[in-house]
Amino acid sequence: MSPSRLLSILLILPALVVLLALFVYPLGFSVVSAFTDRSGAATLENFHTAFTTYRSDLIFTPAIVGLSSLLIAVLAIAIGGYLTLGENRAAVRILGAVYRWPLFIPFIVAAQCMRTFLGRNGMMNNSLMALGVLDPAQAQSFLDWRGIVITFVWKQAPFVTLMVAGAMASLDRSTIDAARNLGASRLRTLLEIVVPQVRDTLYVGLILSFVVMMSVLSVPAMIASDSPTMITRDMAWRIEQLGDYHTANALGFVSYLMTGLVAWFYLRATMRERAGR
Amino acid sequence: MKRREFLMSTAAAGATLATAGTARAQQRRTITVMTAGDQNMVDYITDYLGPLFERQNPGVSVRAVGTGPGDAGSQRIWERLEAQRRANAQTVDVDVAVIHQRMAGTMVQQNMLARYRPEVQTSNLVTNEVARNSLGVNVDGFVMPMFMSQIAMAYNPQTVPNPPRTMDELVTWAAAHPRRFGHNGIRGGMSGVGFVFAWMYAYAPNPQQLINGPYDANVIASWGPALQRFKEFNRNVTITPGNAGTLDALNRGEIDMGPVWMDMFYTWVAEGRLPPTMRLSMIQTGLPGQPMYYVIPERAANAELARKFIELATSPQVQAVGIVQRFNWLPGIDAQHVQSHLDRAVWERLFRDVPPDQLASMGRPMPQADFFQAIQQAYERNVMN
Repeated sequence: MSPSRLLSILLILPALVVLLALFVYPLGFSVVSAFTDRSGAATLENFHTAFTTYRSDLIFTPAIVGLSSLLIAVLAIAIGGYLTLGENRAAVRILGAVYRWPLFIPFIVAAQCMRTFLGRNGMMNNSLMALGVLDPAQAQSFLDWRGIVITFVWKQAPFVTLMVAGAMASLDRSTIDAARNLGASRLRTLLEIVVPQVRDTLYVGLILSFVVMMSVLSVPAMIASDSPTMITRDMAWRIEQLGDYHTANALGFVSYLMTGLVAWFYLRATMRERAGR
Repeated sequence: MKRREFLMSTAAAGATLATAGTARAQQRRTITVMTAGDQNMVDYITDYLGPLFERQNPGVSVRAVGTGPGDAGSQRIWERLEAQRRANAQTVDVDVAVIHQRMAGTMVQQNMLARYRPEVQTSNLVTNEVARNSLGVNVDGFVMPMFMSQIAMAYNPQTVPNPPRTMDELVTWAAAHPRRFGHNGIRGGMSGVGFVFAWMYAYAPNPQQLINGPYDANVIASWGPALQRFKEFNRNVTITPGNAGTLDALNRGEIDMGPVWMDMFYTWVAEGRLPPTMRLSMIQTGLPGQPMYYVIPERAANAELARKFIELATSPQVQAVGIVQRFNWLPGIDAQHVQSHLDRAVWERLFRDVPPDQLASMGRPMPQADFFQAIQQAYERNVMN
């Protein structure tokens, strides 16, 4: 073995050890734990418990995250589209500066803000009541699955927008100008010329957001602890209150499958991107 | 030369001081009180009980360590003692521990606690069942209750002139006033969990077995109708985000009634966070309460001082001033021993809505430890799902 080869192995060794010790080993451990009982014997009982006890949450989690992703896509296209095609210089500049702010706010802070904003006597309802739009008796709290969706969209839309707007900015402007010259409206130009060209970037942004949202505990814990809520909350409860790591890991394994599925789409998209180059 | 002499004399003086310091440290003894529970438990030891004990016992200092709220806090104390036991330590570094009921049973079964109660002079001031039975485990002699906390129904008398006295009346009331009753379910703190237990005491086929055991997994199947009814009941109620959330919703007028911890209720009223017009009531089939226990670990390094500490902590004077007056808890020893040490006003504030006879007849223990978990899991499976 040549000295430079040895050196390169030595250089990657720390990273490899960290990866194995802190990621691969715990991952394998939790998968094994999901399929064993307290005495260590193989069993599917944990999955039975997970599916019977948390059936509604297992359905709601991908539904909540999926709906959030959809809304994020719409917002990202709208904001990115206006930044690219907007004609009011000042509005474009202000929007461009403002839309990134939520990126710098941690999930738990966002959740806390939403609690004071969306509660029954929160800022939103109070403002609507002050405007006379809402009757106080009909005011309702949004601190349930709707609150989770609102927080996720608010927090993750800027991230996807950042990627999408970047891709839109680097497009060949001549395609946009050609469409506009031929009389296409701005909306039509956005949907038929711009979006198809940034579609892969949009997908990648959404997939990364999906995986991040799947793993957030603070938002469901603070906004909607009761059912329907997200799998992460159920896992935390299982461990904190019942000391039951096996069912928690079974729930975790189901989350892996969900994120694994979208990760597969991500890999396919990046492969296609590379092949296209 | 002078400078050198000066340096040497300083060094000598320093050495003398250091020796004197060590001697003093040897005279001074420290007992460690490790407590589970919220921050107010640590405050109680550091601000009130610790200084009092130090004044009465010169040369002793009290070190309070909090391990966090809920059963998880008691679990940490167990982990510490278990680690020292596995290491075959001659003495353990926890002298007094304050733990929840479930862990008290476990620790007694695992021979981790000293049978100290007969040696404490205040032992005969407690006749309550909880001093002997902790969630179905016989803990007689191993524990002294620090205080009792009790769940009661808080309500707004302006909107609820006649509060429901039975669970049936509550169900009818909630149906007539949708979303005006609030509880925090099983994920947001013990006042909600306790309400779920109260529901089972009212509607499960054999409530006595849930409290006294023996545990029998076959009983779980018989809970179906009770839980189904709960699910329908929950359609008419507001689920609040926690113990504090229920009180908060009551204060904001979002709900008119809900289960709360009595001590939290009184503290909130005293702090002006809840209008003094709010009242408490009980449910005839019973609402649960729980003590926290003083225990002394087996092989505690300062067992004798620990017994002295607990003796002080369970004396009528301290129970009156510290537990009742300052922290709004119900006394751990029998109430009649405490009464003479309290102002009439304080006594009446504590028992105005729920007098001692109601507490005795409608206060229930939490369920037996295995049923405790089984009910929570059945609620998740059948009511939340």
